[in-house]
This record gives sequence, C-alpha cells and structure tokens, in this order.
Amino acid sequence: MLQRRLALAWAFVVCLLIGHNAWLWLGQRIAPDTDILALLPIEKRDPVLQQSFTHMVDSAQQRVVVLVGAAEWDAAGRAADAYRAVLAPHDGLLVFDAMGDDTQAGWLASLQPHATLLVGGAQERQLRDEPARFWADAALARLYNAFSGPKLGAFRDDPFGLFAGWAQERAGETPVRPRDGRLFVAGEGREYVLLTYTLKQSAFSLGAQDAVVPLLEQAGAAARGAAPNAEVITAGVVLHAAAAGRQASREIHTIGVGSLVGIVLLTWLTFRSLRPIGLTLLAIGVGFLGALSVCWLLFGQIHLLTLVFGASLIGVAQDYGIYFLCHRLRADHGLDSPALLRRLLPGLGLTLLAAVIGYLGLALTPFPGLRHMAVFSALGLVFAWLTVVCWFPGLISGNTLKAGWLAQRYRGVVWRWPRLTRKPASIGVVLVLAAAAIGGWSQLTTNDDIRSLQSSPPALIQDQIKLSKLLDAPSPVQYFLVRGESGEQVLQREEALKRRLDPLIAQQHIAGYQALSNWVPSARVQAERLALVEDKLLRADGPLALLAAEIDEDPQWVGASAAHLRAQARAMLIDDFLRSAAAEPWRRLWLGAVDDGAGATYASIVALRGLQYASLPVLARAADGVDGVQWVDKVAGISAVLGSYRATMGWVVLAAYAVVFAVLLPRYRGRTWRVLAPTAAASVLTVALLGFSGQQLQLFHVLALMLLLGVGVDYGIFMQEPSEGDDAPWLAVGLSAASTILSFGLLALSGTPALQAFGLTMLAGAALVWLFAPCFSVTKEPIHATPD
Amino acid sequence: MKRTVILAALVFAAAGASASAPVAQIQAMLAKPEQLCGRFDQVKRLAGMKKPLASSGRFCVVAGKGVLWRTLKPFPNTLRLKRDEIVHLQGERVAMRLEASQEPTVRMINGVLFSLLAGDLGQLDSLFEVDGSVKGDSWQVALKARNAALARAVGAISLEGGAYVRTIQMVEESGDRTEIVFSDIKTGPGAVLPEEAAQF
Repeated sequence: MLQRRLALAWAFVVCLLIGHNAWLWLGQRIAPDTDILALLPIEKRDPVLQQSFTHMVDSAQQRVVVLVGAAEWDAAGRAADAYRAVLAPHDGLLVFDAMGDDTQAGWLASLQPHATLLVGGAQERQLRDEPARFWADAALARLYNAFSGPKLGAFRDDPFGLFAGWAQERAGETPVRPRDGRLFVAGEGREYVLLTYTLKQSAFSLGAQDAVVPLLEQAGAAARGAAPNAEVITAGVVLHAAAAGRQASREIHTIGVGSLVGIVLLTWLTFRSLRPIGLTLLAIGVGFLGALSVCWLLFGQIHLLTLVFGASLIGVAQDYGIYFLCHRLRADHGLDSPALLRRLLPGLGLTLLAAVIGYLGLALTPFPGLRHMAVFSALGLVFAWLTVVCWFPGLISGNTLKAGWLAQRYRGVVWRWPRLTRKPASIGVVLVLAAAAIGGWSQLTTNDDIRSLQSSPPALIQDQIKLSKLLDAPSPVQYFLVRGESGEQVLQREEALKRRLDPLIAQQHIAGYQALSNWVPSARVQAERLALVEDKLLRADGPLALLAAEIDEDPQWVGASAAHLRAQARAMLIDDFLRSAAAEPWRRLWLGAVDDGAGATYASIVALRGLQYASLPVLARAADGVDGVQWVDKVAGISAVLGSYRATMGWVVLAAYAVVFAVLLPRYRGRTWRVLAPTAAASVLTVALLGFSGQQLQLFHVLALMLLLGVGVDYGIFMQEPSEGDDAPWLAVGLSAASTILSFGLLALSGTPALQAFGLTMLAGAALVWLFAPCFSVTKEPIHATPD
Repeated sequence: MKRTVILAALVFAAAGASASAPVAQIQAMLAKPEQLCGRFDQVKRLAGMKKPLASSGRFCVVAGKGVLWRTLKPFPNTLRLKRDEIVHLQGERVAMRLEASQEPTVRMINGVLFSLLAGDLGQLDSLFEVDGSVKGDSWQVALKARNAALARAVGAISLEGGAYVRTIQMVEESGDRTEIVFSDIKTGPGAVLPEEAAQF
C-alpha cells in the first residue's frame, strides 16, 4: 500500500520534471553555455589586476580578425570586398570596425601643439651627443631636397625632423598601414587587407557560434571566388569556442550512445529480457531530467561540459537498478518485490549516500563549472535512486526475469576468485603490487600548464600564429601592470620600466612595447626634453644660427624660428590625449583611476610585441626593483591555480575517504575497511599506472580519483551486504563496473585533454576495483546454490 | 605615411600622370622610355622665410630599377629609390635608409612608381582625382588627393608637359611651396651617366 502511494507520488514528480524540461527546451529554447573559462575560479583578489584582464582579454575575446591576401594588392582588395559583401547584411551579428578616414587625417594634427616635446629614442640620444653642425646639416638637407624624408606640416614646424622621426617610431609600433581606404599589411610575398569585426553576442554563446562560423566560411569562399589565389586567414575566440563546442557535442553523442549500447547488450545477455533495459533507461532518464531541471532552477544556466560530464552519470545511476534487478533474478520467486526492496534498502541507501558524498567533493572546489557538475551529478543520482525505490518493485515481479547466458557463465567465477588471506602466496602478491605502486609513484610527474588542456584544431592554431606574426600584435595575456598614486607617477614608472626593457629589445627577447608614455611622456620627461631641445637646438648661437648663415637669413629669422618651436611645446596631459582621435588604439592600455578598496589607484598596461615564449622568465624578472610594476602572466596564473587545486583536491579525496568510512562504520563495524579497501588499492595502483605510462598528474586525474571513490564504494557495499550465499552482489558489481568502464572508457577517447585524463583514470580505476572487490569479501564457499 | 605621399608626388614628376577623359589623350602624348634622365631646377618658398631656396641637380628614372634624385647644388645630396628600399645619402654618408621589411609602405610606394613606368595608371587613379586639359602639344594636369590625410600631406599638385613632364608645382596646406622645372631630358641607352648607373 505504501509502495503504491510512493509510486503515485513519484509519478507526479516525474510529470512535473517532464513538463519543466519541455518548457525549458521547447518554450525557452535554452542553450548550454560553452565558455571553457567558466571552469576556472573567479578571481577576486585584486580589482586592479581584474580590471586589466577586462581591458586586455575581454575586448580581444569579442573580435574576429581576418586577413585577405593575394600576390597583388588589387586582387586582395577585390577579395576583401567580396568577403565584406557577404557579411554586410549580418551587421546585427558581426559589426565591421570601419577605419575613420578623418581619424587618419586628424591624428597628427592634434599633436602639433606639442610637437617640440615629441622626440624619438634614437634622436634623443643624438641630441645629447651630436654637435650643432650635425643638426644644421640635417636641416639643410631637409630644406633643399624636394623629397628628402618624412615631413609633417611646414618646414619651420619641424626643421630638424624630430617630430617626423617620432611619428615614424610610433608608426613602427604596428605594421598595419592605411592604403586606399583599407588597412594594409604585407608579408611572405603577399599583400593583405586587414578586416576586423566585433561580435555582438558573447563569443561563447552557442547561437552566435552556430550563426557566425558558417557565415565566415561563406565569406571566405566568396573571397576566393573573387580572386582565385586569395588567402583568407581568420582568427577569433569564437572560432575556438565553436570548435570546442562541436567537439563536446560530438562526444556527448559518442559517449552517451556508446554507453547505452553497452548497457543494452549487457542487460540482454544477463536477464534475457528487454524490460530491465527499459527500466534502467527510465531510471537514468528521470535522473538526467531531474538534475537538469533543478540545476537550471539553482544556477539559471547549464554548462555544456556539465552535460558531457553528466553523460557519465549513466555509468553510476544504473548501479541502483542493477543492484535491485540482480537480487530479483537470484531471489526466491515467492518473495514479493516490495519485501525484497525493504531488505535491500540499507545497502542501496548507503551506496547513494557514499556516491553523493563522492560527487559533492567536487563542489568543494572553487571552480563554478565543477560545482555545477557536482550538483548536477548528485541530483541525477538522487532522482535515479528514487525512481528505482519508488517504481521498480511495482514493475518487476518474482518471475519477470530469467538468468541469461552471461549470468550463468559469470556466476561461477567469483567462487574461484582469490581471496586476501594470510597465506604466503597472498602476501607475496600484495608485496609485489605494493612494490609496483611505489615504482609507479616514484615516476610520477605533475603538469598544471593550462595550455596542455587546450585542444583547438591545428588549422585554427596555425592561422592564429600566422596572423599574429603578420600583425605583430601584442600578447593579451602577458604584460606589465603599472600602478601609482597619480597618472604622472604611473607614467614615470612606465618610463623606468621601459629603460629596463630597451636592452631586452636589443637582445631580441621582445620586438617592442606599447605604452601610453610612448605618446604622452611624464611631465618630468617633458620638462627634461624641453631643456635638452632648448640647450642643443634653440640657443642663440646653436644650429639655427648656423643654418641662417647658410641660407642667408638674418638673426631675426633665428629668433622667430626658435619662438615658433617654443610655441609648439605646450605641456601634454594624459587626459587630453586620451580624448583625441590619435589615442583610439591605445586607450585600452590606460586603466586610469581604479578603486582597489583602499582608495583610488592609477594604473596602466605596458604591452609587449614579438614576445618569445622562451623569454618569459627573463621578462618576469625584468621589472624587479621597479616600484609599482607587476609582471602579469595570465597563462601562468591559471596554471598555478590549477596546480594549487590539484594539491587541495588530493587532500579532499583523503578527507572523503575518512567521511565515507565514518558513514559506513555503524553498519559494517570491523568490516568497514573491507568496503573501502578495493577502491583505495585501485586508486593507488591507478596513479602508479599513470606514472608508468608517463602521464603527468593534473587536476583532472585527481578529480577522477574522487569520483572513483563514489563508484568504488558502491561495489564494496554490494559485496559486503548480506546476500545469503547467492551471487547477486557479484553479478551487480560486474554489470555496473562493465558499464562504468564502457562509458568512462569512451571518455578516455575524448579529444579534450581534461576529459581524457579523467576518463583514463576512471577506466583503470573502475577495472581495478572490479578485480579487487571479491578479494576483500568474506563470503563463505557456497553450498552450490543453483538458480531456480 | 607622409613619406609615401611625397614619393608618390615624385613619381608624378618623373613620369607624368593621367586617368580620365583628356587624361587618356595626355597619356598618349607622353613618351614612355625605358630610361630617362635630365636636369632639374627647384625653387622652394617656405613659410616664415623671406628668400626663396634654389637648388639644382640631375634625376634618372629607369624602368624596373628605380629612381635617382641627385641634388648637386648648393651641396650634394642623393635620394635613391629601389624596389625594397629608400636611401638618402648626404654626401657619402647614409643619412637615412628605409627598408620594406621595417616600413611596409616602402614597397607600396615603389609599386606605384613601377606600375606608373609600365603605363599602368590605375593605381594613381585610386589615390587622386586627376583633372587634365590639352592645348596644342602641351598639357596640364591638376591632382587632388582622394582622402583627407593625403591632401594634408601633399596639398595641391599641378603638372605641365608635352612628351615629358616639364614642370611640377606643389602647394602645401602649411604654406610651403615647391616648384621644379625639368630640362635637358635624354632617353635611350646613353641617358644614364656611368656614375649614375653604378648607383642602381
């Protein structure tokens, strides 16, 4: 009677779940999130650092950069026009970043009032060293030659070519040039048109990826159609995200389908009935829908990787059904199903409790994505478990099931299985395994480099490399962060840093740097420079006087020219510059005033071009001793976080063993160690195997060990529960382990390195638990019980 | 950027220009020799200076090789353009060298130059509006930059000529003016002097 009421109540809950899911998927059209960074902890430590990430990474993330190249500039232009024409109607999705023609015209004009203060590095050194004659000659050459070099404004605005030299130096910070109303880059014997687009939706939204990727391919085809030899190089975070998304979707299918096929086959061979298959699927399905519903209500989103991980839920959620079904198969037909369930309930309850504890260990990590996975998995297990408990007794009666081929063959094995005893042979085996474990562990190395987790297609990475080489763009993830109490102090500290970086350019560690102080020198440097120009160029008996003698002008002209140059030395202010069009490409380097909790701090970024990977250690030390300058390497930072959580998770696993032991102790007393021993031994040997196979230990291996505890304890409990001499527990362990291995074995085939590491660990671990479980059982030799 | 523009003007001076309706006619009038050398006389009138600055020298344009611009008076000063570099010599000293590998516009400028010499004027048309008129056996052309940046850099350019360019005039927005007159133009194998040939 109670069973019937429970079943009805559960039916009501399941109806709610189906309704909610239908509303979510069909009504709300929800899409899973694919942002891999959601797996990473949110950095809360340093608001200034955080702000710098926002400036550098976030804008880069939304950009799609395209180079359309051909041997001839005309052909490249035609191809680029064809490319743009395809994307033009879709400006709700991708906005073309047009280059302002007026911006081009005006950018130098706005600097003209400060021209005398703007001197390039090389010429500043010449100013210190060269005599007046040198500068008079330089001015003469500019004066007479029609086409003698870059010239900005009238001759008298820049008689010594210093401002022109400075402008040339600034232009050298990027190889991109305007040409015929387009942006032009040359390299490798081709001429390229640079097109940049900004994505309107997040690069990680599946909708944007689905729409953008085919459009870009179509545009690329159009470009190649317009100029047959055109080359199209595309880069953007959205492409990597889309590739990762496609891979994850593919893997959901292979892992999910592979796992199901495995279960179906196993169940048929064991029970010779389709009903257990249907029932197992039912339990898993309810588990999945329930987990999804509640997760959505809790978090308002679901990550695609959570779903991928959730696919592995199949491997665990089936345990409860299988446990019940195996006992039903072996139990006396006369015993009714609700009564059988009541007998199994303590064991079933403990398996759920242990598995949920195992999964919730993941929730202790600071990674939001992993927390979702933990909650999703724990909820899925609870829903699947409740389905088994509420519905299975009503749906399966004593004579529904018959032992299949597999069940008959397999049962005998357990009796002949070696047991752990105090006999010398047994102790010998243990010693050999212990030695192997020590050997394996001693070979173990660790690697927390986030880049080893990256799995973008090689073609995308090649395009990315080629593009950044052609554009000589600065690294968005490695840079210097400069802080100070005022804008002026920040600029002065930038200048101190640049004096450290100049030798590194000469040593080819970097190609150059981008900094606001390249454009707006600190007030101190402005004053020093003006004094230098005054002393070397504008003195009454200086180069201007020598020049006047050569071209037959009077002292009045000398005075007027010097006055004209002094009038162009108006002090430059960072805020004025930032408002001008010339600052457009550089604004992102200036963080300005940031509230860091203890008042406002001023901050800026010094970005590096042509960064050599091997030079990172040199750069990390380059700013040592320069006040207020911090080396930021986001890649190394994330790797360090992964590493520290790998270590933390190791302790969490050990703690979980202790907690599970405490949970099991009241029921199993002196035998409790036998429940945990197979899993513990399997974990130790799995890690040893990783060591032998040269795998480098990382966070995802350790996370798998956590999960292995949840699964392995099931098997331990099955084997220790009273089973009245029949082989139902052994059958349940075999079926569950085989399915778990099938599903996680497929995860080991994943192209995503993190999932692969996870899968490999689960594969070896689950297999070993299966092999070890009977060794620790105390079941007596049976009196040749045969199935009825 | 500015440099490109000034060089583009040189290209005009040396080879003459063309594009639209009367422009086709002018193009037909221009001889397009493999090599061309001659004398130039330049007068500059600069803002803030009372006296004009006069200079003179020789220039050569050789198809497929480049351009040589030799100021001889009042003191020697040479500008040499090749496919991938621009070199400025002050006497014997290299005062400035710009290579395509560091300044991408170098090849683009020189590309404009070479396509001009080959009679392919399409590229100029993309930079300038060309307005020309023909009277008898001489012609006149005014060039107006298509974008504001270029206009700021070169100002207004006008050319006059017949079979060859005779004069070029540049009036910059800053008020600086340059006038160049070409004479003694020679074409054919003997046009380039041995010391000039050594420079290419």
